[in-house]
Order: sequence, then structure tokens, then C-alpha cells
Amino acid sequence: MRLEHDWWPGELPDNVAVGDGAYVHSSYSFHHYRSRRPCGVRLGAGSSAYEDASFELGPSGEVDVGDCTMLFGGKFCTNARIVVGSYTLISYETYIADDFTAVPPGDPAYPSSAGPPATTITIGDVCWIGVRATILAPARLGDGVIVAAGAVVDFDVPDYAVVAGNPGRVVGWARPRSGAHEGRAAALSERGGDTPLAPADP
Amino acid sequence: MSDPRQESSGTWDYETLPPNIHIGRDCFLESPQLFRMFASERDPGLVIGDRVRIYFGGWGGGFGILATGSMEIQDDSVLTGVQIMCADRIVVGRRVQISYNAIIADADFHPRDPDLRRRDAVLCSPAAPPGERDPFATAPVVIGDDVRIGINAIVLKGVTIGAGASVYAGAVVTSDVPAGATVAGNPAVLVTRTP
Repeated sequence: MRLEHDWWPGELPDNVAVGDGAYVHSSYSFHHYRSRRPCGVRLGAGSSAYEDASFELGPSGEVDVGDCTMLFGGKFCTNARIVVGSYTLISYETYIADDFTAVPPGDPAYPSSAGPPATTITIGDVCWIGVRATILAPARLGDGVIVAAGAVVDFDVPDYAVVAGNPGRVVGWARPRSGAHEGRAAALSERGGDTPLAPADP
Repeated sequence: MSDPRQESSGTWDYETLPPNIHIGRDCFLESPQLFRMFASERDPGLVIGDRVRIYFGGWGGGFGILATGSMEIQDDSVLTGVQIMCADRIVVGRRVQISYNAIIADADFHPRDPDLRRRDAVLCSPAAPPGERDPFATAPVVIGDDVRIGINAIVLKGVTIGAGASVYAGAVVTSDVPAGATVAGNPAVLVTRTP
């Protein structure tokens, strides 16, 4: 599909699903995209992928993004599966990768894989990923996590933790610690439970 | 006007590059934009071995090689959106993988002394009068065979990285890395675990 506002003379691949009210700035974000999955990238309702976002997906690669998530950057380098929740913000020059020396799909050094993709990285709801952060498998970030600029994260991060530094470590909490164990429930109540996103005004 | 998709898929005419760039067989050079900051007056200024792949990672990427700089990339290496800043000498061995957005720099590019740097800033200005720039610190960078350099890593002047070593994502490397070792962090330090 051709995006009418696209500066790049390309098309959005057929196996990319863009939800209601979601926005993709340019098909150039798919310049290295090689996913042959039924749905290689899903952008949920009201989510956005701007010019610095890039989907460097191998043949088995999948990226699943929730609703109202902003990808100002976010270079997704995977031949497996990366899941990003809803209401999350990912800033410029941020890499989310299976491997610390990722190469583009199609390169002779690209690792081959067989079978359905395992989920290698998850980023929860209402996360905030700072400029030039690097998130590597097997990282699993809970809800409400804040990753500071330039941090390197390759480990599990609990709900509402603030991670900073290289190597990254938990340096604080985005809300009082007492509620952290109820993180999932708190995030759901904050956005009004599991009610679907209201349709955008026409 | 040529189709930008062709220019960005490695299928442009490599013969249009300056004659002091020597390219081996079966290379993949994703975009001519990789060379827009190539200014080496040495011969050769850049030697690329056989089966080398170099991807274009954005406007900051490519071969920023000054008049005094020369670089060599040996067979079967892959550079993914890497940024080269070379004023002296950078050598990349065989089968090296340098990942997205990494920076390799072999110089400070400007004087350390603030008074000299004030004058340097004037000489570097687009409105510069003709003049000789003051020298700045340079030291060659040597990256051994089978080295892996991670996403967003930075390797600075004078660093030798031994064969088979790994530089983890985001590491800032300012001193030598022994063969087979792994370094991580800012500043980079030796780590025991294998990423």
C-alpha cells in the first residue's frame, strides 16, 4: 500500500497491519524489512511510527505494538518476536534487538532460524524509553518502566522501575514502591480497564 | 534523476567513486551517500577487501575520512550503519561485525586547549579565511579479526581490539581490549560473561 504522505517512493508491505487512527510516516521504515510472517508488524489503534522508526525484521520476525504507542525512534532488529504494549513512548535512536551485533536481514552473516518465532523481548504498557537506549534480548520490561537516555538493558525489569546507566541498573521507581506489585492492575485502572480505545473523531 | 531505491540498494555504479578507493570482489555498498564525507588525499585512502558489506544507517553514517586519513577493511566484514571518523589510520580485520550506529574515531578532530579550539572553530567555519589548522591528537585504531562491535558502541583513538574480542552494545572503548575478551559499559570494562 502506498502512503499518500510518503517522501520515499516505496510501499507499505502487505503483511503490515495498521490499526484505526494509527500513522506510519514512511515506507522507508521498512527498507530492510524481510518478514514473511502472516503479520510482520501490527500497529494498534492510534499508534504512530515516525521517521526514525525502523523494522529490520528477518523472515520469521514479528513486532506487535499496542494502542496509542509512539515510536519516535525504535529500530526493531529481530528474527523472532518483539511485543510492545500500549501507551508507551519510544524515543529516537533506540535499538531493540535480538543480538548485540545485529546485522540487517538478508546479509550473509544474518542468523537463520526455523519454526515459529519465540518472543525475545517484551515492553509493557505506559513505558517510556529514552533517547539512544539499547534494549537487548532477553529483556522483559514490565508496565510503567522508565528507561533513561543511553541506558543498556538486557535483563528483566519490574513494573514501574526506573533504569539508567550503561550497564543499566534500577535506580528508582516511577511511583511509590508499595503499589509496584499491583502494577498490572494499576495500569489497567489508569486507562479505564480493558475497554477498547474510543474511535477517533472523523 | 535516478531512482533513490536503486541508489539505496547497493546497485549503483561503484566506478563513480574516487580512484583512491579500492574495492574488492563481491562487495555490497548500500548507498553512495556512505562516501559523501570521504576527503582522503592519500593513496590508497580506503581499501575494502572481498565480500565486504556496508549498510547506510542514516545521515550521520559513512566514511568521514579527512585528507590525512586512510582506512582498510579486510575480507568478509560487515559494517551496519557504522560511522567512521578517520584522520590518521583505521584498520578493520577479517570477518568483523560492526553493528548499528557504532562510531569508530581515530582522532579528537579539534585541539584540546580552549584557546586553540577557539581559533580552530573560526578556521572550521563556513566563512573561514584561508589558514592552517592547529594539530589535534590522533592515534590509529586497529580492530582484529573476528571482532564483534555492538549497537551504539563507540571506539576511540589509539584503541587496539584483539582478535575475537566483543564490545557490548553501547560500550565506550578508550583503551585496548585483549584478544577474546568482552568489554561493556561506559567507560568500557572487562566483563566475564559472554553476551
